[in-house]
Amino acid sequence: MNVLELKNVTKKYGEHVAVDGVCLDIEKGKVLSLLGPSGCGKTTTLRIIAGFTSHDSGIVEISGKNVGHLRPYERNVGLLFQDYALFPHLTVAQNVAYGMRYRGTPSSVIPSRIKQMLSLVRMSGMEGRYPAQLSGGQQQRVALARALATDPQIVLLDEPLSALDAKLRVELRIELKEILRSVDATTIVVTHDQEEALSLGDEVVVMQAGKIVQRGTPTQIYAAPADKFVAEFVGRSNWFHGATRDRFTGGVSSYITSEGAEIRAKSAQSEQCGRADLCIRPESIELVEEAAGAIAPDPERNVLTGVVFDVAPLGADVHVVIELPGKTRLLVIRKNIDRIPAVVPGQSVRAVFAASDVLLFSDRR
Amino acid sequence: MFRNSGATLVFRTARVMGRRALFSKRHADAGLTWCVKAIIGLTAVFLLLPVIITVVMSVDSRDYLGSFPPPSISMHWFDRFFHNAYLWPAFHTSLLLAIATTAVATAIGTLAALGISRMSPHLRDPITTAFLAPLMLPGITIGFALVMVLSAVDVLPTFYKLLAGHLIVAVPYTIRMTLIGLSGISRTLREAALILGANERQAFFTITLPLAKNSIAAGAIFAFAFSMDDLTISLFLSDFNTYPLPVALVSLMRSSFDLTLAAAAVFLMGLTIVILIMLDRVLGLDRVIGHGIYRA
Repeated sequence: MNVLELKNVTKKYGEHVAVDGVCLDIEKGKVLSLLGPSGCGKTTTLRIIAGFTSHDSGIVEISGKNVGHLRPYERNVGLLFQDYALFPHLTVAQNVAYGMRYRGTPSSVIPSRIKQMLSLVRMSGMEGRYPAQLSGGQQQRVALARALATDPQIVLLDEPLSALDAKLRVELRIELKEILRSVDATTIVVTHDQEEALSLGDEVVVMQAGKIVQRGTPTQIYAAPADKFVAEFVGRSNWFHGATRDRFTGGVSSYITSEGAEIRAKSAQSEQCGRADLCIRPESIELVEEAAGAIAPDPERNVLTGVVFDVAPLGADVHVVIELPGKTRLLVIRKNIDRIPAVVPGQSVRAVFAASDVLLFSDRR
Repeated sequence: MFRNSGATLVFRTARVMGRRALFSKRHADAGLTWCVKAIIGLTAVFLLLPVIITVVMSVDSRDYLGSFPPPSISMHWFDRFFHNAYLWPAFHTSLLLAIATTAVATAIGTLAALGISRMSPHLRDPITTAFLAPLMLPGITIGFALVMVLSAVDVLPTFYKLLAGHLIVAVPYTIRMTLIGLSGISRTLREAALILGANERQAFFTITLPLAKNSIAAGAIFAFAFSMDDLTISLFLSDFNTYPLPVALVSLMRSSFDLTLAAAAVFLMGLTIVILIMLDRVLGLDRVIGHGIYRA
């Protein structure tokens, strides 16, 4: 049974189509990430589900009931605002109790429910504090407790972690996941941050220009992006534009890039002729020093020679930028523990990657 | 900022004069700080001295307007003020008028500000300007214009004419102050209330109003103060039976200049202090007049 179902929902602002025929469903207890750049319509979609914005056409159903005409307070939707939107003149306990007061929770139950919610978000003992006395992370916990206190049918999280600093973000992300799972909340996370989307969501929906481009598990989205936009938006990538030269057996075809390099790509699809965009993830590239000697030719392997331009040791990862002939730059991400080869700027290296690691996006699409 | 730029200027001058070692930047800073403090002190004295003199003179025991300071203390000028058949009714009118002006202006101003704050930006700015326009007009102009209009259609009692005149200027104050308060309230707070199950009315009374309370109160103070103080508009709209205190004081000053005026002034000051203390008890004064206005 789907808790939420959007059928062909469209919203226009004048000539601009903000949400364009979006179909979306979510099962009970699942977490769905709505990912896209700003202006892709994800926030409008969220506001339509919440009831703040009315859609022009299509159907919005919550638990099988059409809610299109209902005001926000007539639906039972929880929303965690990006700025938390805690009421500054109310205490933590009053904030959490606010929704219960209007959602008809018996007043005898409210105090124990406040306690329960605050312990869930690990904010016990903070009942009497005001939002201004809390840190960003604490405010977010209270906001989450407030949103969950009314036991909403669906919980919407608007960029839940974007206002926090990087370290806290990772901690809270894990906690957030745990809390959502423990209350079995059906959740939609709206975000432009891929890390947030991929880590929180059981499934990820990528939106662009008001449309859904791809829906899949986080692994699918990253490993098999539906099109160039998804590949570019999710994760880092190196891009080449090339034309087919000839076709090898076993589905490997050879492309000559606009810079003149040859890249072999493996693809099960038959669209292997003509022009295409080639995408190589930086972590699938290996670095081999010139001194390591000749690499045995292999039709399923690519070898590009270049000069190390920059080495950035970022803790766990090392980002190496290699300049290929024709000034093209190639980003290579290696684990720090690999350590080998220890390259320095100016050094000649070879970038090696398998033909099967090249993502292929034909121009015809 | 001011200190630095000033010091730099002095420093440069010193350098041009070739006496760099004699007049260091640090000395210039210290000198400038002293100057600023002196200016602040002088300004305070300038502002407070007349008030102090008025207070002292109001308890003068002499029966005539003598030189400062008074030889002994007596409350007889106050007694005269309270029993003055001309001034005391004027005070009544003023107080009633100020209370009525405050109540009506606060109600109108709050509602208007709420409406304005929800308009789209391209409508909001011209409408705000239109509502605040009376503040740009001299009181004389407003008073004269009102006399022309109200005497042409002579249906209002004098008190309501005065009320209308005061409202024209008081309402922009309350609108302005409420708008400032509302602009500090994030839209998401209202939305949070709605998504938590409160309807629009409940969201207004539990979230918007409590958060805008301080700026509404500040607007009310301005309205009250304006109404108690206004002379120019009232001058045009008063008649022989209904006139507010400032009008009475001015005409008394012209006819017989004595220290009843000082007593009246001190009485008004005392009243203001009482009102401010009351507000402080209810709302917290620093929050009404100070930073509270700009906080969400």
